[in-house]
Amino acid sequence: MQPRRPLPPTPLLWLLLSLALPAAAVAPWDRERTDVPARPPAAGLPRGILQLAARAALHFFNFRASSPSALRVLAAVQEGRAWVDPQEGCEVNLVFSTERYNPEEEGEESLGKCSARVFFKNQKPRPAINVTCMGLTEKIKRQERDNLLYKQVKQLKNPLNVISIPDSHGHIDPSLRPLWDLAFLGSSYVMWEKTTQFLNYYLVQISRVKQLKTNDDGIDFDFTVLLHEFSTQEIIPCQIHLFWYPGKPLKVQYHCQELQSPEEASGIDEASAMAPTELSNF
Amino acid sequence: MQGPLRGGTGPGLSPVDRRTLLICTFILAVAWGQMNFTGDQVLRILAKDEKQLSLLRDLEGLKPQKVDFWRGPARPSLPVDMRVPFSELRDVKAYLKSHGLAYSVMIKDIQVLLDEERDAMARSRRLERSTSSFSYSSYHTLEEIYSWIDNFVAEHSNLVSKINIGNSFENRSILVLKFSTGGSNRKAIWIDTGIHSREWITHATGIWISNKIVSAYGKDHLLKKILNAMDIFIEIVTNPDGFAFTHSMNRLWRKNKSSQPGIACIGVDLNRNWKTGFGGNGSNRNPCSETYRGPAPQSEPEVAAIVEFITGHGNFKALISIHSYSQMVMYPYGYSLEPVPNYEELFNLAKDTVKALHKVHGIQYTFGSISATLSSGITVDWAYDSGIKYAFSFELRDTGQYGFLLPASQIVPTAQETWMAIRTIMKHTLNHPY
Repeated sequence: MQPRRPLPPTPLLWLLLSLALPAAAVAPWDRERTDVPARPPAAGLPRGILQLAARAALHFFNFRASSPSALRVLAAVQEGRAWVDPQEGCEVNLVFSTERYNPEEEGEESLGKCSARVFFKNQKPRPAINVTCMGLTEKIKRQERDNLLYKQVKQLKNPLNVISIPDSHGHIDPSLRPLWDLAFLGSSYVMWEKTTQFLNYYLVQISRVKQLKTNDDGIDFDFTVLLHEFSTQEIIPCQIHLFWYPGKPLKVQYHCQELQSPEEASGIDEASAMAPTELSNF
Repeated sequence: MQGPLRGGTGPGLSPVDRRTLLICTFILAVAWGQMNFTGDQVLRILAKDEKQLSLLRDLEGLKPQKVDFWRGPARPSLPVDMRVPFSELRDVKAYLKSHGLAYSVMIKDIQVLLDEERDAMARSRRLERSTSSFSYSSYHTLEEIYSWIDNFVAEHSNLVSKINIGNSFENRSILVLKFSTGGSNRKAIWIDTGIHSREWITHATGIWISNKIVSAYGKDHLLKKILNAMDIFIEIVTNPDGFAFTHSMNRLWRKNKSSQPGIACIGVDLNRNWKTGFGGNGSNRNPCSETYRGPAPQSEPEVAAIVEFITGHGNFKALISIHSYSQMVMYPYGYSLEPVPNYEELFNLAKDTVKALHKVHGIQYTFGSISATLSSGITVDWAYDSGIKYAFSFELRDTGQYGFLLPASQIVPTAQETWMAIRTIMKHTLNHPY
């Protein structure tokens, strides 16, 4: 648990008491309310902020780790505190457990534990994040798995005759799983940058593979993903262009499509939308 | 639609032969009710200015039609997607080139796409035909579900009947299954699935649970007690138009398919169209939004049908509206932070429900009031204010790893645990009559 940082001089309007959420089967969020004095919760502090912050921290962590075979997802929030100051922003301190995104061997749950400080400045996206995690896969094993993934991608035949991953029934062909992991890694960067204290994202699908080039330098992967935005429920298409080599930091460029206003819409039934612009080469 | 046939020279065949072949294919395709899109492409064009846009609109205006816009010419900054039939490709591409319109090929052969989709579904259908039983561990089309409903009712007519409660915007039947051991207008429990069409796991769960009820009736003493005192109503495809659309065009469609004159975007979020809390902060007045509330409360036929039915019946005591994903059990209100009068009771019932669910496969659900998600004009709030004290909303598996695209292998486990959750609520309703 991180030490409490000193309160800023500007007066805080709301203080949410710390929530002890044991990792039990039952986890009510209404307990938050019973602890807070009889005032409506801060306008800037939505319910579920702890989960949102944990996910943002993990997106950032996954991106920084740049390892598609060692991706982590949220298991449970264990402790957390959130402050809102309308002038400054929203700060969340929390401890949470994680599990491997792609558990391989049976029984290898490999629960990790992270503590993080997540700060949203003035309701803007791209929160500032400090996150440390323990109990994760050792570096050597991670490198082994990344190298294997790299080989698997190299073996994929181009042009890929695939439309969407997963398909409508949630199925991912095992040979394409490495692409999905790479896409999730690239999307982590995008999702971190887009997260605000009100909006967070989930990766739904790779809706299009524009280009996949694998040579000795690394993997050059140009694709479109669909992100599911909470709590607006919108599906956001993002074109992502990433470059990855095992052990090296991930390089990502992306462009997400803006929401249509009533005037812009063409009136034709929407098929899965795709991002329009060309990205410059690295 | 194939456009008029031109005398292009394909490899090998003379123009006449090719034209004859294409005509025959077209006739056969139409006769079998299947359109063939072999060789059709979808082109993406970025128009630089209004002049180029109007050139594209000219293409659209040609009679007979040469192209079919998937995303029509709107503004220079927005891409235009158009499907070009194979026979028109050469002419259309020449037209684009000659006017300096840059294009890229988005889909090289639509038929390949469609064939892949069809193969995947045929694979599961083949299995059902050979085992002569409906596969409860696959996802199904609307037609398959409606045909299952008829078979199911016929096979279990002592317990189940089918009620048509109205028509959707595109005129599809809205069907409800009634489970009853007799009596007249008994106290009743309502369950709906599929109000948001992309949440495929919910329809699949509704189907499985329907089957569970008839198969467990003889062995489950609690279920027998429940059905001896109350009726159960299950609406499996609450949004049939949206559901059909998730199969045909857009797997991630959420809303219904209603349209209004002069408004470009289609569809209303059926879970924002209810009267209680209509128009609040938890819904959107932008028709292009996924949470568009619609022009007026209950404006949507799919919602109006349920309101009419439940109100007309007058004796519903519990309502469960099923969604995905997030793994939550929730009680009213969504539109307001104000706790409902029997808040404590619902809190405890939700806690028990989640516990019962967890016992099945160890899956963790959270619970609380819907106001955490800030949604207004929702089913459950309306149900509660209509006097249904036990009104719950479920969000099924998972928590984002697959989301809406939950693999079919998870259908049965999800349905099994959801059934135990529903059973807990039904038990409480039975034991706390009002």
